[in-house]
Amino acid sequence: MNKDSDSPVKFEIDDEHGYLVVRFEGEIDLYGTPHAREVILNCIKSERNTVIDLSAVSYIDSSGVASLVEGYQLAKNSNLEFGLVNISDAVLSVLQLAHLDKVFTIHASLDERIQAS
Amino acid sequence: MLKTFTEKLGKTTLRGVEELGYSLALLVESFYWLFFGFRRRQAIKLPSIFAQMMHIGIQALPIVAILAFAIGMMLAIQGIATLKTFGAESQVVLGIALSVTREFAPLIIGILVAGRSGSALAARIGTMQIAQEIDALRVIGISPVRYLMTPAMLAMLVMLPALTFFADLIALFGGGVYSSLELGMSLQAYADRTIEVLKIDDITQGLYKSLVFAVIITLVSFVNGFSVTAGAEGVGKATTRSVVLSITYIIIADMVFTFFLTH
Amino acid sequence: MTNQTDTQTNAAIEVDDLVTHYGTTRILNHVDMQVNTGEIMVIMGGSGSGKSTLLRYMLGLHQATSGSIKLLGHDITKISAQEMDDLRKNMGVSFQGGALFNSMTVGENVCLPLHEHTNLDENTIQIMGRMKLSVVNLGGFDDLMPAQLSGGMIKRAALARAIVMDPKLLFFDEPSAGLDPVAAAELDDLILRIRKALNTTIVVVTHDLDSTFRIADRITVLDKGKILMIGTVEEVRNSDNQRIQSLLNREARHVEINADEYLKELTGQKE
Repeated sequence: MNKDSDSPVKFEIDDEHGYLVVRFEGEIDLYGTPHAREVILNCIKSERNTVIDLSAVSYIDSSGVASLVEGYQLAKNSNLEFGLVNISDAVLSVLQLAHLDKVFTIHASLDERIQAS
Repeated sequence: MLKTFTEKLGKTTLRGVEELGYSLALLVESFYWLFFGFRRRQAIKLPSIFAQMMHIGIQALPIVAILAFAIGMMLAIQGIATLKTFGAESQVVLGIALSVTREFAPLIIGILVAGRSGSALAARIGTMQIAQEIDALRVIGISPVRYLMTPAMLAMLVMLPALTFFADLIALFGGGVYSSLELGMSLQAYADRTIEVLKIDDITQGLYKSLVFAVIITLVSFVNGFSVTAGAEGVGKATTRSVVLSITYIIIADMVFTFFLTH
Repeated sequence: MTNQTDTQTNAAIEVDDLVTHYGTTRILNHVDMQVNTGEIMVIMGGSGSGKSTLLRYMLGLHQATSGSIKLLGHDITKISAQEMDDLRKNMGVSFQGGALFNSMTVGENVCLPLHEHTNLDENTIQIMGRMKLSVVNLGGFDDLMPAQLSGGMIKRAALARAIVMDPKLLFFDEPSAGLDPVAAAELDDLILRIRKALNTTIVVVTHDLDSTFRIADRITVLDKGKILMIGTVEEVRNSDNQRIQSLLNREARHVEINADEYLKELTGQKE
């Protein structure tokens, strides 16, 4: 199922302050999304509160955003937290276009996120 | 007067040649997608073929049954009446068997499908053309031929022979019912005699014809549908034109086919 | 062709010396035009000016007589069918009447490009489709058939389909045609929002002046197959060119009645 080798999406997962923090890197587009989606869904399926750090993501398209939506819904159904941090203006405007800035919990950084909870 | 006539003749001929060329191009393209579509990640989708097969084939079964039965009866009535003058009415079985399988079943199916499904196809494609849905397909990067025509062509190629074979059976049965009533032979005896006189070739000859008709109906419907330009009126004209042309080509092709097969 | 991003200019679309014919009639006459990345270019002109024709050639629907059309650096008059297919994934088109497929639901319409061109999970595709419907304020309408929608809704649904692949180039054919002023203004706002959020390069063909002045960065004025002028909204408004002024004024007073045409309309004569 895992096709990490040829996936254009790189990521790191750290366990910080009780959150699984997923730091994606590069572009999350039609080619990268299937892999990114799997990573996101697996974090939530492991019953952990999850934070997606998008600071190193240069571009995310609707398929990437759709995977975030799917992850958030799955987390909600399992009573888990799901947050986004370090969102660039470009990504934020993509979220705003689909009125998703009002749906996701978005924080400027991980620290801010921890303080808020 | 003469000038306008020759001009008109020239234009008609030109249009005919253009359409023939266009038809051939469409024919080649529809088979190209069938065999090579997956290479360009545009494989033919099964559901659209099945949807077409439903409409062309399955939904036509009741009307095919009625027509085929009536034709079988009609042949029996004519055959017995004619052969009576020679006192050879028992030969009617041979007459029915050959004319049904070689001629009447494929022809009647071709005409029926041209009127029923060919017109529907031409109307559908024409409507899509004027609503710019065909353009929309193209700009999305979907070949209209691959998406619309190849599934219809495949469905026609499967369903016309299937319907023809079905019509063979029903028409033979219809002929048998009348013959048994009129000549007092049992249906069993009629069936035995039919099997005795029929050769496989007689049946396959009809099926081959139906394959040719399938190609004719699909091509004519799509050529006319794709060529619609002017509004709903254009769709109506294209629909009528495609039915008339399909039937004309079918009958001409049938004649040519029959000539070569009987020589 | 070889370098995808043209480094010398910022042009997303370059039309160079384009000549086209319909039969033996010349429609476009040496047309040169550039559209910069992220720009909204409105192509304007009276009927028969060739503006719709120019759009159709930019969409690769016809073969030009001569000249070239470069989209994102690819000359579409020369590339292979396969390359054109790939390029089309970066293009979205909103047709005049919407051109939604009547046999499919609104949701299926919007998701069709994704089903045809991607290997994304069905869940992802469904969410993307609903997201785009929400962008055009049609959230929750995905199960309806196009026949159940109003004219304005059909245009917005068609826009959702056009942007479902996040295209770099977006084309509109007469977006405000057949819409009431409010619906037309809504569509204009959507066009502006999409450009702002996604930095999409947008080409709009229209004869609607209100709409043009609301959305255009620059305007191309076509007349009888030739370019009269390319300039900003202000430049076009202030142009001394008689033909442009008459076009602006005639269209600004489009409520005025053309006696002949009105008579024909009333008596039911067509053309």
